Amino acid sequence: MGKHEIRLRRQRIASRGSERFRNYGSVLKQHEEEKRIKLIVRIFTFFLIIAALVLLFVVVSRWEKKQEKSADQTSPAKIINHTS
Amino acid sequence: MTDEEIRKEQDLIEKSKKDSNAFGELYEKYFDQIFNYILRQTGDDELAGDLCSQTFVNALKNLPRYEFRGFPFSAWLYKIAGNEVNKHYRKHKGKIIFSIEELRVRELIEQTSDDWDEELINRLIQYMNELPTEMVRVLELRFFEDKDFKEIAFILDMTESGAKMRTYRALDKLRTNFNIKMKYDG
Repeated sequence: MGKHEIRLRRQRIASRGSERFRNYGSVLKQHEEEKRIKLIVRIFTFFLIIAALVLLFVVVSRWEKKQEKSADQTSPAKIINHTS
Repeated sequence: MTDEEIRKEQDLIEKSKKDSNAFGELYEKYFDQIFNYILRQTGDDELAGDLCSQTFVNALKNLPRYEFRGFPFSAWLYKIAGNEVNKHYRKHKGKIIFSIEELRVRELIEQTSDDWDEELINRLIQYMNELPTEMVRVLELRFFEDKDFKEIAFILDMTESGAKMRTYRALDKLRTNFNIKMKYDG
């Protein structure tokens, strides 16, 4: 046997048989809901990226300040000052 | 479909891209076709109803990207429906069920052969169970949905010659093993 199975169905589904599943209102509702979720995810991702960039900026500027400070402490001018 | 009908449908599609409510007309037009197509690949009314709804939700979602490529709009819906059915079977890892109408099978056989019986139908089903699934899909679209090979190729993501080859191979086997003929063009 393969990956499928053929079954014989006695009746042909008429339009009346599928009528109880026909509901464009619910399709539209689901679509609107998915659209809203997509928008929320997009906005959330946007703010997450902005927050990550701000955090990166703060970390880099702090690191730069720290580097400047340590460079100042070890500069030759300071060393001369201390010895004199 | 006539050129005029295609043009009208394209106008409706363009309208639906801007207003989802306009898509309702296309939904009403194609619902039965898509539902029956899914039902034939699942054999379960409830499941077919769910997958059919999901098909139209996906169609609405992707409608802004839809472009007319010489195929009727229904072919695009069939393609989405097929993807939904495949997704379902991948998720549930079950055997693909093809639930075909007995009446249609009899109609197809009766076209060329008068001496069929229950035994022949059963052997035919057994033979179809042994065919590659992709081949059954092509046969289903050709004989149960009356699609041409160009459309079948688009729906199943294969070449037109691939669709033809699968059909002819299956029908050749039918001729030699069962001594029955089924109508086909190409």
